[in-house]
Amino acid sequence: MKPNEDSPADDETTTRVRLPETVKVDKTVNLPGIGFCVTPDENPSTILLGMSDFAIHRLDFDAEKPESRPISEARHQSYVTGIVRSGKTAVSGGYDGALIWWNLETGEIIRQVDAAHAKWIRMLALSPDGTRVASVADDMRTKLWDIESGQLIADWGDYQLKTPHGYPSMLYAVAFSPDGHWLATGDKTGQVLVRDPADGTVAARLETPVMYTWDPKARNHSIGGIRSLAFSADAKTLAIGGMGKVGNIDHLEGVSRIEIFEWESQSKLHEIEDPKYKGLVEALRFGPGDQWLVAAGGDHGGFVSVYNLADGKLAAQEKVGNHVHDFTLAPDGESLITVGHHQAVSVLL
Amino acid sequence: MNSDTPIADDISPPRPAAASGSAPTSPRPTVRPIGFSRRGFLTASAAGVTASLAADMSAIQGLRGEAIASELKRQDKRVILLWLAGGASQFETWDPKPGTKTGGPFRAIPTNVAGIHISELLPELAQRMQHTAIIRSLNTKIADHGTAAELMECGRRNDPGIRYPDIGAVVARELGRLESKVPDYVSLYTSTEGRRKGTSGFLGARYSPMFLSDSMTPANILRPDSISATEHQDRAALRDALAKRFTAESHHLAVDSHQSAYQRVQGLMASADLFDVEREPESMRARYGPTQFGEQCLIARRLVEAGVPFVKVARAWWDSHGQNFETHQELCADLDHCMSALLDDLDERGLLENTLVITLGEFGRTPGINASLGRDHFASAWSCSLSGMGIRGGVAYGKTDEEGHKVVEGEANAGDLFATILEALGIDHEHEYMLGARPIPLSDFGSKPIREVLA
Repeated sequence: MKPNEDSPADDETTTRVRLPETVKVDKTVNLPGIGFCVTPDENPSTILLGMSDFAIHRLDFDAEKPESRPISEARHQSYVTGIVRSGKTAVSGGYDGALIWWNLETGEIIRQVDAAHAKWIRMLALSPDGTRVASVADDMRTKLWDIESGQLIADWGDYQLKTPHGYPSMLYAVAFSPDGHWLATGDKTGQVLVRDPADGTVAARLETPVMYTWDPKARNHSIGGIRSLAFSADAKTLAIGGMGKVGNIDHLEGVSRIEIFEWESQSKLHEIEDPKYKGLVEALRFGPGDQWLVAAGGDHGGFVSVYNLADGKLAAQEKVGNHVHDFTLAPDGESLITVGHHQAVSVLL
Repeated sequence: MNSDTPIADDISPPRPAAASGSAPTSPRPTVRPIGFSRRGFLTASAAGVTASLAADMSAIQGLRGEAIASELKRQDKRVILLWLAGGASQFETWDPKPGTKTGGPFRAIPTNVAGIHISELLPELAQRMQHTAIIRSLNTKIADHGTAAELMECGRRNDPGIRYPDIGAVVARELGRLESKVPDYVSLYTSTEGRRKGTSGFLGARYSPMFLSDSMTPANILRPDSISATEHQDRAALRDALAKRFTAESHHLAVDSHQSAYQRVQGLMASADLFDVEREPESMRARYGPTQFGEQCLIARRLVEAGVPFVKVARAWWDSHGQNFETHQELCADLDHCMSALLDDLDERGLLENTLVITLGEFGRTPGINASLGRDHFASAWSCSLSGMGIRGGVAYGKTDEEGHKVVEGEANAGDLFATILEALGIDHEHEYMLGARPIPLSDFGSKPIREVLA
């Protein structure tokens, strides 16, 4: 088991710039529900998960019999869809619109903001210095919170509440750049905003309309949207994940889709579609040195794919259990842990 | 017996007076209500009494005045079926199970009726529960789209050799007015997935729906500019005269059918404006919202207001095998807002007491949540709603178990629901058509209306 860490670095580790040639499932652990989000704990082999049983779980992959258990009797009132960790504090967000601050040593709630958002929280992102957490929700607002005090620092509402076809829109994805200077958000209709979190100034607007998946004729609805975002280490490149054109919108059978931009110039570098492993790209991470990109998601089944950023070509790929909702990449780029439908899987690259 | 064969005397379109009582030239199946002739009723009650009245007067001579009054009142009754094509989830609509393994992420919210909670995805309808009865205990067993849709539309499965009419055709047959200038049964279904045209079954083409599939406005129903209104009327008169002469000598179903079709077309041409939402004030259009479903609900209101007895608005596509929760966030918002606007609008116009609004699909969705965050087909324990006319509002009938796997109280099948709908409209669900020598009750044999939801 390789160490995991994609939250603020606790120490410097050797990074793997080399392009992975394989994706190999190492260990699969059954979960007592659906894992929607994951962040590494202080112990390198341990993860914290947001689950469908409304609880925060902890799972140690190096345990003799790895088992996912709630860290506390206390829970959200709905699915937990976002979690970040800063030191010994975790912050979680859920479909109940609440943010909860957790003491990871005791499992006690430090703070709870019940109406952090008026609708369902979709994702959280931690600033690289570990002092801020950004939240996005279906009230179409992006909020910035102070980790230490819980104070609301900023509240931006510049997305449309409704889609162009008159239906409720959704704000699915948020990501900080590794230098902390930029915050990207993406919605159901394929609109991406990159802003300066210091003052909220929007520096760029990108569009990925294919990811909207609106079907006006056969089914008269959509199930797509931007589901994942990731900045490169130099903060110049932004990867956007979702699903491409879908024929049967009853199922997640559209091709998985990634668009990669040099965001300041709004130049699209790569447009990647994978007809082999279909469904949503739920999470993205750049590998060390910005030479490659890892994507994970799926339809019923899950996948992990590695793309060479030099040419946008697939470098390695593997089916990984059930649909993957999130993963955490070890800072050395040697391994990752996925969470998804009733499974957590450690994967070697 | 070929059930597609057009039907006979009692439910055929009115024949010209000269032809009334003429024997058909060849034997044909007879679909005849047991008891009195309803055609006689309807014809007699028409505001403009026509020549056909005399021919049918004998049929109503023996009836009491109260019965006639009742029959007259029946003519004001209407139905709007909001067909949730593909199968909406009971968990995300009428029967939420928050906090359970199967309940999904959404909460239950209280309604304006104490003790009744529905999904948080229906906040506007939650404030209008006084109009609505929820049935949470449907066990209809069939979970494939085609057969299940047929079951829920017709209240029973087709028997070999018999094609049953769907609820729209039955209501058109029972509540339609022969002299009406508007269609009896309009079905709007503009999405392509799961599209079904509806069937009048053994009732014949007279009660088939006017089916709008490509747009919300009937195609080609306006008089061409190249024909003047006078020319148009003259052509119709000539056609009538020729048809009457022909049928006086030799009555024939084909002529009846042609004549009926022309009469209906004339009616449809006169009702073209009903499909034009531009004729509504902007404020009213805004109230229903900009979505296609909203506009179709507004058209439905315009149609029932003009006297159309049955309007089906199909809203696709709820078949959420993948991303059930995203699908329901989108589609429930549409249903919640548009149906609420419809109920309010009908209520304010005094139409709700005479209009039954139904939400129904072919089945519900599984308690289990699959790996695509979807729910699959499930017909063992699901829900529908009935609002307005004949319904005891503020009722949640039936019960499923804690995780929604099975019905534990008040189990009802498709026939029971069909019977309930008919009884809400004041139509005896045990009333029988005669298909040849075979009596066919309006609702399936053994079905029972759910009295607890009836006013």
